[in-house]
Amino acid sequence: MKFSKVWLQEFFIKSIEGINLDEVLTMAGLEVDDIQDLSKLSNLIVVGEIISIEKHPNADRLSVCQVSVGLDAVPLQIVCGAPNARVGIKVPCALVGAKLSIDTTIRQTEFEIKKAKLRGVESNGMLCSAKELGISEEAEGLCELDEDKKVGQPIIDALSLNDVIYTLSLTPNRADCLSMLGIAREVSALSGLSLKAIKHKLTKESFSLDQKVKILEKKSCPRYCGIQIKNINNKVNLPIWMGQYLERSGINSVNPVVDITNYILLELGQPLHAFDQSKISGEISVRRAKRGESLKLLNDQNIKFEGIELIIADEKEPLALAGIMGGSSSSVHNDTKEIFIESAYFDAIDIAGRARSFGLNTDSSHRFERGVDFKSTLSSLQRASSLIIEICGGECSNILDMESNLPKRETIELRTKKVSDIMGIDLKDMDIKSVLDKLDLNYSDSEGKFLITPPSFRFDLSIEEDLVEEIIRIHGYDNIPAINPISQNKILGSPNNKKSIYSIKSSLANLGYNEVISYSFIDKEVEENLHDNLDLIELQNPIASQMNVMRSKMWGSHIETLIYNLNRGHNQIRIFEVAPVYQKIKSNFKETLMLSGLVYGDYIPEQWADKKREINFYDIKGDIETISCNTLSVKTPKISVPKAFHPGQAAELIIDKALVGWVGQLHPAWQQKYELPEKTYVFELSIEKLVNLPDIDIKLPTKFPPVRRDISVVVDADMVIGDMVEAVKSQTIERVIDFYPFDIYEGKAIEDGKKSIAFLILMQDTYKTLEDDEVSKIVNQVLDILINKFKVKLR
Amino acid sequence: MNHLKELIQLAKKDFEGCKTLTELDNAKSKYIGKTGPLTEAMRGLSKLSNEEKPKVGAFVNEIKQSIEELLNNRKDVIQKEAMLSQLKDEYIDVTLPGLKQSKGSLHPISLTMHRIENIFHSIGFDLATGPEIEDDYHNFTALNIPESHPARAMHDTFYINKNHVLRTHTSPVQVRYMKDNKPPLKVISPGRVYRVDSDATHSPMFHQVEGLWVDKNVNFSNLKGVVQDFLQKFFEDNDLTIRFRPSFFPFTEPSAEIDMSWNGGWLEIGGCGMVHPKVLNQVNINTEEFQGFAFGLGVERLTMLKYRINDLRPFFTNDLRFLKQFGDQ
Repeated sequence: MKFSKVWLQEFFIKSIEGINLDEVLTMAGLEVDDIQDLSKLSNLIVVGEIISIEKHPNADRLSVCQVSVGLDAVPLQIVCGAPNARVGIKVPCALVGAKLSIDTTIRQTEFEIKKAKLRGVESNGMLCSAKELGISEEAEGLCELDEDKKVGQPIIDALSLNDVIYTLSLTPNRADCLSMLGIAREVSALSGLSLKAIKHKLTKESFSLDQKVKILEKKSCPRYCGIQIKNINNKVNLPIWMGQYLERSGINSVNPVVDITNYILLELGQPLHAFDQSKISGEISVRRAKRGESLKLLNDQNIKFEGIELIIADEKEPLALAGIMGGSSSSVHNDTKEIFIESAYFDAIDIAGRARSFGLNTDSSHRFERGVDFKSTLSSLQRASSLIIEICGGECSNILDMESNLPKRETIELRTKKVSDIMGIDLKDMDIKSVLDKLDLNYSDSEGKFLITPPSFRFDLSIEEDLVEEIIRIHGYDNIPAINPISQNKILGSPNNKKSIYSIKSSLANLGYNEVISYSFIDKEVEENLHDNLDLIELQNPIASQMNVMRSKMWGSHIETLIYNLNRGHNQIRIFEVAPVYQKIKSNFKETLMLSGLVYGDYIPEQWADKKREINFYDIKGDIETISCNTLSVKTPKISVPKAFHPGQAAELIIDKALVGWVGQLHPAWQQKYELPEKTYVFELSIEKLVNLPDIDIKLPTKFPPVRRDISVVVDADMVIGDMVEAVKSQTIERVIDFYPFDIYEGKAIEDGKKSIAFLILMQDTYKTLEDDEVSKIVNQVLDILINKFKVKLR
Repeated sequence: MNHLKELIQLAKKDFEGCKTLTELDNAKSKYIGKTGPLTEAMRGLSKLSNEEKPKVGAFVNEIKQSIEELLNNRKDVIQKEAMLSQLKDEYIDVTLPGLKQSKGSLHPISLTMHRIENIFHSIGFDLATGPEIEDDYHNFTALNIPESHPARAMHDTFYINKNHVLRTHTSPVQVRYMKDNKPPLKVISPGRVYRVDSDATHSPMFHQVEGLWVDKNVNFSNLKGVVQDFLQKFFEDNDLTIRFRPSFFPFTEPSAEIDMSWNGGWLEIGGCGMVHPKVLNQVNINTEEFQGFAFGLGVERLTMLKYRINDLRPFFTNDLRFLKQFGDQ
């Protein structure tokens, strides 16, 4: 909603200059988006009248004008080059000393009018074009003013440029403020300035209405008023003031009749529609469209009806999409002589969403969707017709007025105590009364209680809380104190068997990983291929085609981040993200919070002391083990490896026997496709599983040192060492406290197809130092397992 | 016996010529070793008369002690010199860079979320999360935004299908939490939210934190108190004030926009209000017994203000040159 301050002033008896309009509107809940001040023009630019004109003696294209700038002032001699300069016209005249600013394409420059000699003739001012005043883009000739302008009057007054344009961003509940009247009401309630009644004379009917109207959808159209006006001249000029108000409200002029209906829409909030009477065939009906019917709208858009839309139709065809937009065939043109104007109240439910379904949002639908004052249907039409006759001439019929099922306004009980309870400060009956009076609401009251009937223009008052808000709003949100609540204090629990996600993130950061946040949507093609997911969750209205499905993995997003950073000179990259991934399971959606990451490049940044080394699988595995509890194990895949991975360098991540994630090298084919110079590793795991801490049974260390024995065995080269370690550990041999490989060797001295593994066995007894024979016995137990299960040979 | 006395001089000379402990050890054996002249002199004692024995013995011992003293002195010197030379050899350039992994970092949005959670946790707010692919009921209907209500147009919603959307706010978590928990309750729910909007000041995905407090007597003034208290703690500025501006959200009544004092003006930081009775009724909370307030804050906005970043886009571009700067936070 955009409006002119000068127009708003018309609604008040006293000047509104004294109030801070910006502040008042804001604190009324009408957000001010923009303020544009037109009154920057100098007071030394006044209305001048050319009283005589002569050719310039030394220049063909210039003329020397005598310009009257006031009854008492001596006429000024001004040299002018405009082709339309002629005796008798009134034009803006910049006096000596006036400052004008010229908006060149490069910058705004200000200059001052000075006494000057132009080709030898003295000039004492400047006659201006509309462009020079900054009020129009047109530069052609002098700006010709209406004859009735008072000579000598400053131009900002003469053209009502002493104006400020406000743009409001209104919330959907405040439909009542989608009109000048509504805004004036609010300003009045908050500022205490009283409103002036809008006066309009009723035009006498000259003939009886012969347009028949039938309402088939009474629930959707509870009120319908219409009037016929004959013999209008729709080619006249709109009064300048009305044109200005419309222009400053952002409405383009079409023709007088349409402009006047728009004026009423802005002034009173009632959308009207004018039909060319000669294009209506027979009876008008307000009905549902039939499936397959169509209508060419005013904006030339052709729409086809589903059969549920409310329309205005004649006996032949649809004429208008009710409450949204008229049709082009029955629209009013400059040469229209006879019109039928509709003023109706359509039910919000029926209009809501309809305009949007056709990709429309009109001034009319915007208002009907939110609620239009159902008591202004008739009076708005009366005002419109009298304005039309005043401006375009003609005569009018009596008014048709059909009404049924208008919304009822139930009374609402408002308790003083409720207001105080919600506000948190004590209010008295008196305070509430004063607010209700300011809002001009109808009420009856008893002690501590009010019965209020909301007005027909308010659609946001239906329960007690709505009224509480009104009380607080007018009482002033600024008068609400900030008070800390007093409440029962209970200590929050803190689970001992879970660590926070934040601590896992911090651990990763300590390992050199940078946390990233990427969009949850990704390119369908990436999802289908890299993520290998065909059960797509597609967005119906994606923001871009490369963000059209919800991701089931984060790898695609992270490769994108990798490439972005490679292109900016990074060559060692470790990133991670904690975010949900999305899966479709039949018609349901599942979200799992995952930790996912990507590692690329060197193991550590290039530095002086050590040789460069490319990162490898075991580095990433080590990082994952570091941030996990020892409940996590990294296993050879039992199910097929995701397509993103190198099949020989991928592992399952298992917690409590359940698959919780994957780690591995990005498949060389993807590496090639994304043109990545070096190997890339990715991982993901369910962070909900990772945060679970196992129960631990703490053992006190004994005073005896552990004993270490190393054994070296030879096995088939493809033997999985993890299985060997697990086999030994699962036997829980007494006194063995650790067992792991520390050297693997293939090559010289080892048979082809075999490898040598050196294991370390760490043993300890709680109560004594182990004897040699006890140690040997344990070593043999370990060896037996390895020999029996894995056919190892002792080296 | 005099030749024994001369040994002291010889040993002294000999020892001083030794540069290492090994040399010194070798030299030592010439004097006090098992086959050295002193040992032999001691052996010869048995041939002496009982009268002479103690005298000669004492003499030989004296010489032995003198030589041992010389030996120990020399040993100390050699050891000290060796240590000095070792220390000299082991000097390094301590200004060379330390050997380390490159520095990791947490995302600024994570840092802010963590900070917000901690602050609210300190007055007993629970933490709750909910799905991002949300059904129409929880995202709209339960929040008093019925089908085709113009308020739906306020949310530029991403649609998955007729019944599912990407949640446009974290408010649906409120509804879910109130269904599962009985009042009094205090909860915040941070998370990702989505709107069809993308330009310098809007991202199609962003983060919100929703707060909810339902109790017998928490009111609009308390809402202002809690939000102001939070912002003062978040920005560590006890002079920070807020103002409430009347506004409209279908799920709160009365509703307000929250403006925060900033650089001499007001800056919009979130929305809030008293939970709408229709929302409480949806989850079977008796509105005559309980009332509550809710607020929503933009995490990106808070982060931008805290770190004085004037552009939203870097949060989602993931440029490491941007992210690594948060490594010290």
